[in-house]
Amino acid sequence: MLEVDHIRKEFGSVRAVRDISFAIQPGTTFGLLGPNGAGKTTTMRMILGIVETDGGRIAWQGKPVDGKMRRRCGYLPEERGLYAKMKVREQIHYFGRLHGLTEPKITQRTDAWIERLGLQDYALRPCSELSKGNQQKVQMACAAVHEPELLILDEPFSGLDPVNADMLLMVLSDLKARGATLVLSSHQMWQLEELCTSFCIIAGGATKTSGTLEQLRAAWPTRVIRVAPNSSAVCAVLGAVPGARSLGNAQSDGAVDYEVPAATELPPILRRLVEADAITRFEAIEPSLHDIYIRAIEETK
Amino acid sequence: MNDVLIVYSAEIMRRIKSRPFLIGLVVGLIFILFIVKAPAFLGGVLGNVGKRIVLAGDPRLTAQAKPLLAHDFTIRRVVTSTSAPAPAQLRAYRVSTVIALSRGANGALRIAVYSRNPGNVHTDTLRRDLLPLNLQLATSLHARRITGLLHIPVTVHSVGAKFASSTAQNAARGIAYTLIVFLYMLILINSQFVMSSVAEEKTSRISELLVASVDATALLAGKVLAAGTLALLLLAIWVGAAVTLGSPAGGAASASGASPFGLAGIFTGTIITPLVGVGFLVFFVLGFLQLSTMFAAMGALINRTEDLGSLSFPLVMPVIAAFFIAVTALAVPHAPWVVAASFIPLLAPFVMFARMAVSNVPVWQILLSVAINVAALWGIALLAGKLYRVGMLLYGRAPNFKQIWTVLRTN
Repeated sequence: MLEVDHIRKEFGSVRAVRDISFAIQPGTTFGLLGPNGAGKTTTMRMILGIVETDGGRIAWQGKPVDGKMRRRCGYLPEERGLYAKMKVREQIHYFGRLHGLTEPKITQRTDAWIERLGLQDYALRPCSELSKGNQQKVQMACAAVHEPELLILDEPFSGLDPVNADMLLMVLSDLKARGATLVLSSHQMWQLEELCTSFCIIAGGATKTSGTLEQLRAAWPTRVIRVAPNSSAVCAVLGAVPGARSLGNAQSDGAVDYEVPAATELPPILRRLVEADAITRFEAIEPSLHDIYIRAIEETK
Repeated sequence: MNDVLIVYSAEIMRRIKSRPFLIGLVVGLIFILFIVKAPAFLGGVLGNVGKRIVLAGDPRLTAQAKPLLAHDFTIRRVVTSTSAPAPAQLRAYRVSTVIALSRGANGALRIAVYSRNPGNVHTDTLRRDLLPLNLQLATSLHARRITGLLHIPVTVHSVGAKFASSTAQNAARGIAYTLIVFLYMLILINSQFVMSSVAEEKTSRISELLVASVDATALLAGKVLAAGTLALLLLAIWVGAAVTLGSPAGGAASASGASPFGLAGIFTGTIITPLVGVGFLVFFVLGFLQLSTMFAAMGALINRTEDLGSLSFPLVMPVIAAFFIAVTALAVPHAPWVVAASFIPLLAPFVMFARMAVSNVPVWQILLSVAINVAALWGIALLAGKLYRVGMLLYGRAPNFKQIWTVLRTN
């Protein structure tokens, strides 16, 4: 398990991370969310030991992340590049060596990644001759050639076209299936929602909320119910529910959305609605990750 | 340690195949070819300018003058007419100068020089060569007697000096000067290479991927050690080439002290002793490590390759200063300020070596200088390592010195 426990970091007068805590189970995929400047990159750098913490504790499998452990980690930073003149194969091979791989495993892994990412035709070309998409594939291979136990990816989807984003999703799913623990940060909520099993939302250098999507939803204070038809009888029933308010967003099929407190029992409301009108639709809409994120960030402001 | 070795071997392979290394190697060899062969070549070509002459005058005078001038001039023809020659006549003689001898009213020798290149006329040499003839004409003494009187024997005796003769000392100065030039070139070129290599990683945005894979200190150490190894390799190739090209002529030149560039004397063990050889290597390594770590740290602060020049300039200044102090030290190795400079980090690698090459430096001074510079290297490595670790992760505008200080203080 990766434990991040009340870590903090200051750069001179700038408090980059004030108090961040979360825990990640091995073999799971974890989404680190937050606006720009929230402290995501600094947190990732601290997990890998690139930047030292000013306080708090980070442990992987109960032990601090030291140089030996770091070799079993992989990292794809947001600011990433390649040696322009080095050939693709040499580049992946070099990063394999830096992560402690030895022959013949290193050659096997290098070849496997080149094949997996469809880079066979470019293997002997300098990286500067590759398209941006292919360079991003090489960067991914460099970060994961040693098949890390823990792979940290900072904004891995930024700058990727849809084809390469799908390719990356496929690679990450593959790594996940092999049992790797993945930590991702991204502004692409749908991609994170698809990949991750648990999340942490941070803002202003502090944890706002964390947990699985179900836990985050359970902690959400309200629910949205969508009902059709949008009749006065329906509105009267919904308006009588304590704490309910209309979201005023009439749907194309004539449905209406109402927000009610999370603790509200829905079956009695449904019964009253059926008695009041000929109900064609009744749906409880769970908050999306995007909704949870926006609310958490707005609360900070 | 394994990380350092991996980075070290990768850097060696990357650099050996790189164009700048190959260009540096070839340019260095051309430079050595020039400095080894140039004195002989230029001496042959430029030295003869104005020295091919036609001797003119009374046959009795020219007959006496001819053997005196033969040491320094090539006399292509002897004529009797002392009138000014026409340019066509000089071309016909294939000389640029006619030296006309005559006697004045008091019987003394008069010399008139007609030349197409008056600036290349060796008047002092002429005066010196013809002085015995002038004295002979004035005193009627025999020419051999006069020559004997003019040649006063001077014997130099060494008192606590490193070299027994001025010839050996001059040869040592020449070799030491050449080695200081090598030291200067190697330290500066390779340190700047380390800087541009770090800057390349920074500007290509691969630095963060690297420091996530391997400890920043190991990365820095591997880079600096690889550059140092290749600098030593270049040095070995250059010195080997210089010795090969300079031998046997180079050896002869060194022994006579005629050429400052003869390097064959390095391995005779008399001019450059084993202690000086070891001193050169030790101070080279110290100087290189001090400077290249500083250059690497500066490289880590660069976000645009255009900033390389402006950030490296403050580091180049002490090297230039050290070079000039070292050259001065070859002449005055015991001057108090030279002695002081031979202990100061960044200056000492050049200055102490220069002092060692041309004088007997007390062993305690050498050891103290090494100790101070090792301690300084340790301090530089700590600060540079910190700056490098942080700098590799800093993007955006290059930080100013206040920000650099904050980084050093808070990390």
